[in-house]
Amino acid sequence: MKRRKKESDRKDGTERGLLSMGEKLARMFELPPDLFGNRPKVTAVGRGEVLIENFKGIIDFNENMVRINTNNGIIRITGSGITIREITSEAIIIGGKISNIDYDA
Amino acid sequence: MTCSRCVSGVVTLMFLVHLWNYIRGYVIIVAKGSVERFINICTRRQILLWDISRKDSDSVVMKASRRGFMMMRQAARKSGCRVHIIKKCGLPFFLHRFRKRRGFKAGLFFFAALIILFTSMIWEIEVSGCSRDVEEQIFKVLEETGVGKGRFKMGLDPKRIAADILLNVDEVAWAGVQIKGVKMTISVQEIRPRPDVVDEDEYCNLVAERDGLITKIEVLAGTLKVNEGDTVTKGQLLVSGILESQTPEFGTKYVHARGRITARTWYETKLPLMYEYTKRIRTGRTHENKYIRILGLKIGLLGNRKAFEMYDSISYDKKVTGPFNWEFPIGLTVEKLYEVQEKRVKLSDEEAEALALEKARLQLGSELSPDCRVLEEKVDILRNETGDAWLQLTLECEEDIAGVEPLGGD
Repeated sequence: MKRRKKESDRKDGTERGLLSMGEKLARMFELPPDLFGNRPKVTAVGRGEVLIENFKGIIDFNENMVRINTNNGIIRITGSGITIREITSEAIIIGGKISNIDYDA
Repeated sequence: MTCSRCVSGVVTLMFLVHLWNYIRGYVIIVAKGSVERFINICTRRQILLWDISRKDSDSVVMKASRRGFMMMRQAARKSGCRVHIIKKCGLPFFLHRFRKRRGFKAGLFFFAALIILFTSMIWEIEVSGCSRDVEEQIFKVLEETGVGKGRFKMGLDPKRIAADILLNVDEVAWAGVQIKGVKMTISVQEIRPRPDVVDEDEYCNLVAERDGLITKIEVLAGTLKVNEGDTVTKGQLLVSGILESQTPEFGTKYVHARGRITARTWYETKLPLMYEYTKRIRTGRTHENKYIRILGLKIGLLGNRKAFEMYDSISYDKKVTGPFNWEFPIGLTVEKLYEVQEKRVKLSDEEAEALALEKARLQLGSELSPDCRVLEEKVDILRNETGDAWLQLTLECEEDIAGVEPLGGD
């Protein structure tokens, strides 16, 4: 528990300091932030479907929870009757009755 | 495979995706073991998975394409998962069941061939933009060139058909032919008749077209040769196209004589009076004959017969109209026969006269020229010694009797 906290602390630190070149440029020219870098893009419509782009892989999956590894840490989606509607190398669509989308969980 | 840019796009595409998956065929599989690892490896190898749900603590159910399943073996070995199929879905598996049923296959091909055959024919021809008799002429031309219902579209050149119509129907100024599906639409522009142009250089006289008594004279050009109140006979010169100068030195001038010579004319007809008359009376007994029409073919149904010795028949067509006003080339023709009996009826004097008068009027009506005005109608009954009687109808009319006669020679 302690170790995990430490790890996440460090991650927060790196995140604040090190923005990639592309991201800096994007911010400078006010371009949409999802154009550069491979940060995840999470889209939720209603509460029955969540689309995550730029993910690395799934870590955990059962009917109440799915954990997805991304470049900005692990995203956990909890709810009931969770299914993976579709999964490709670029995007994952999660269905079910969703109650939480947590980062670093 | 799907638009992964936005969720709504994915949702709208869902149906198409399902259809595509069904056509390509997919399998429902169960994976047992460290399934997360298995899914990740599959994803990395571009194997599409969908509808993944947890079955119990160590197994998940998912769907994968047929190809994907083939490529899954290595991923399963690497992750140490056991994978097996619980159901095969989709068109390829469905068709696989019928691979040994030849009749089924033949039927499928036959059906497809039939659809292709029937959609490559012309089922309907529509002509628009012209009067009825021009339409008839167009259909005649089409018939001659072999274009009609049931003709195959292949080898049919719309421009050629339009050219044929243009060449063979004089009243058509422009024709456009369009083939849309099984319907051929012919749009036509009719030539408007040119107004009559009086050719002033074409010298002519005006002569009487009928016998008559002149009541009114209006001459626009030419020398008047008759006076009001004159009786003229057919062919008599009314207005001459030769203008003689009052001083002979100037010679003669020729003109195109024009004018209206209104005259009183008489039309007459004589009809024998008939005191007997055959009347056709319907007895009330009827019979219906039915025919099925398919593409101009008429097929009689059972029970058709000539039911009566003497009958009137009335037939009408029932058409089948589909959606979008699409008329099917099939239909029913119902022919209704009414039995009649001929009966000789004795007529009274008045009735016989009325009948003859009606006939006489009809007969004269076709003789009268269109600009003729009927002034008076006179009916006489004539009898001879043997007792035969006639009805004489005389119409007194007023009309323009001037007719053009070219001035021959110089």
